[in-house]
Amino acid sequence: MAMATSTFSPRPASPSTLKRLRTGAKPHLHLSFARLCAGRLARAAAGEAPVEAPPKQPDVDLSPAAASNGAAVKAEAPVAVEAEAEAAPVPRFRDARWLNGTWDLKQFEKGGAVDWDAVIDAEARRRKWLEDYPEATDTDEAVVFDTSIIPWWAWMKRFHLPEAEKLNGRAAMVGFFMAYFVDSLTGMGLVDQTGNFFCKTLLFVAVAGVLLIRKNEDLESLKKIIDETTFYDKQWQATWQEDSPAERKK
Amino acid sequence: MAAAAAACYSPARIAISCSSSSSSAASMPGRPLRVAVVGGGPAGASAAEALALAGARAFLLERNPAGAKPCGGAIPLCMLDEFAIPRDLVDRRVTRMRILSPSNLATDFSRALPPGAHIPMLRREVLDSFLRRRAADAGAALVPGLVTSLSLPTGPSDPYLVHYISSSSSEGTGRGVLEVDAVVGADGANSRVAREVGAGDYTTAIAFQERIRLPEAAMAYYDDLAEMYLGGDVSPDFYGWVFPKCDHVAVGTGTVAAKPEIKRFQSGIRARAGAKIAGGRVVKVEAHPIPEHPRPRRVVGRVALVGDAAGYVTRCSGEGIYFAAKSGRLCGQAMAEEWARTGAVTEAGLRQGYLRRWDDEFLLMFRFLDLLQRVFYVGNAGREALVEMCADEYVQRRSFESYLYKQMVPGDPRGDLRLLWRTVASMVRCGVLGREVERLRRLELQARELRV
Repeated sequence: MAMATSTFSPRPASPSTLKRLRTGAKPHLHLSFARLCAGRLARAAAGEAPVEAPPKQPDVDLSPAAASNGAAVKAEAPVAVEAEAEAAPVPRFRDARWLNGTWDLKQFEKGGAVDWDAVIDAEARRRKWLEDYPEATDTDEAVVFDTSIIPWWAWMKRFHLPEAEKLNGRAAMVGFFMAYFVDSLTGMGLVDQTGNFFCKTLLFVAVAGVLLIRKNEDLESLKKIIDETTFYDKQWQATWQEDSPAERKK
Repeated sequence: MAAAAAACYSPARIAISCSSSSSSAASMPGRPLRVAVVGGGPAGASAAEALALAGARAFLLERNPAGAKPCGGAIPLCMLDEFAIPRDLVDRRVTRMRILSPSNLATDFSRALPPGAHIPMLRREVLDSFLRRRAADAGAALVPGLVTSLSLPTGPSDPYLVHYISSSSSEGTGRGVLEVDAVVGADGANSRVAREVGAGDYTTAIAFQERIRLPEAAMAYYDDLAEMYLGGDVSPDFYGWVFPKCDHVAVGTGTVAAKPEIKRFQSGIRARAGAKIAGGRVVKVEAHPIPEHPRPRRVVGRVALVGDAAGYVTRCSGEGIYFAAKSGRLCGQAMAEEWARTGAVTEAGLRQGYLRRWDDEFLLMFRFLDLLQRVFYVGNAGREALVEMCADEYVQRRSFESYLYKQMVPGDPRGDLRLLWRTVASMVRCGVLGREVERLRRLELQARELRV
């Protein structure tokens, strides 16, 4: 796995260079489009050159962009090309199985059927690549792949089933203990409990809890979600809350 | 200067000053309502027009009548009819909208557009000056000048004093004071009126935009097409856009959480737009804050906030022009109506007549768009899911209906259930891929650490 991922890393694989490439420059784009868009090269000089020469950053952004996109492009272009040559160009996403903006499923066949796991892996790699090195959109090479091409059972088999055993085990343990506990408190046996509304509610809560709270972090993120969803509503209702102090301002 | 101030006093006030002390002033109002509308954008102009049409004396104060505001310039179709906007003000009719995901999956958001429907694009300076002129024609007094402060009244029927610096050539520059019964704060995201009355603060996003003049051939591509770009390189919590305007395109992006990095996001959107905006020339760079939610107090005393000053900008789409105009009109009508009915404008009356009606009509829409932004704009997984779902015709139809006509109509139940199912499915699939991407990233990090 480590080998496979390393083939998609750019040549200078040290963390600091990678970070600089990621945060500042997209030099690969400009090199490959050098013929097409002098304007963007100039902007590259303005916006991305600071990756190599930090002191230039504050004043380079706006004024050269305005002037250079029009007239002074030629003067900027050689500077830009130099800057990019230093910054180890990164090629566009290329994969033998990625054709015409989608994965060629015929190349994923294993024993007559499509190996969906490999398709999921390939797509995950492509998305990771694009997150690190966003590409310019191109009307000629439009992306048409969307995840609904992969059938539902492939997702199920890969992502839910391995967890399913663990979750079912938890639910069974919780269920057994709760049934025993309720029996010792109320004397209702298991059969009686299944007919009772309150017990059915408890069952629902237990199943939902096991599904939603799988790691310790999930508790925090659930709380955050609840806070966030009510935050906006609170802002709208705030004006109605302020009855008494506002009266004084009249 | 004194002449300017005196010209603003309503002569009728002196005649009935004896009856102004009692709060239950005459059931028949003896004089017209005087309102200062601070800010001459769509919100202020609509408020002034509504007030003037109802017989009130409206003073519309605008500090920069010739200014061109940084804005996308898109309005919903219903605004053309509701506000009687002449068709020749519209620069472009956008009928195609393309949304692009972080992995450059593109969805054409136009298959379900009803025939004849489009998104009108206008220049703000053209729209704003038209609305102001119409307000003036209805009877509002246009006062070019900058409001500097607001003197709050001490009693329930004392007037507000609006202090301003006039920039009108006819009256001569200098300080002026307006004595009014109520104030409409329509002065935008950095509202002075809101500060003066203590309406509270709100979180803002910053919208940054460059106007780029493209060569003819490139401009033809954007003739009726607007593009929206999603991705962490373009914005961590909003979208980047390429919107066509009269003879140039506006390329921009926005963010709430990462404002210091806005320039980087701007480079990101220009890189993503790629060859389509190549060879263009930047003619203007502009930026402006956009409110993310309403202020804690939208009505304070007899001062009502409307438009951006109140915070009426939807999340997810960042739309504000229509809501500004609509809230201005609603507020103006509420004030005039209350004055005609009771002879006075009160805070309680404004809350009932303006805020309650506004919230009843639009709160649901604003809440829904906030939900959409939280779900779909926050990570790349959500963005991918959004673009996938937008390919569905039902989604497109519902979106257009609610955007163009501002009606949140419940669709048919089966369609809605199917939509819900597809949403969940898309979110799950893209979420799973997102987690796979994170896993690969972790592995790569580990591999690098082992190597180093």
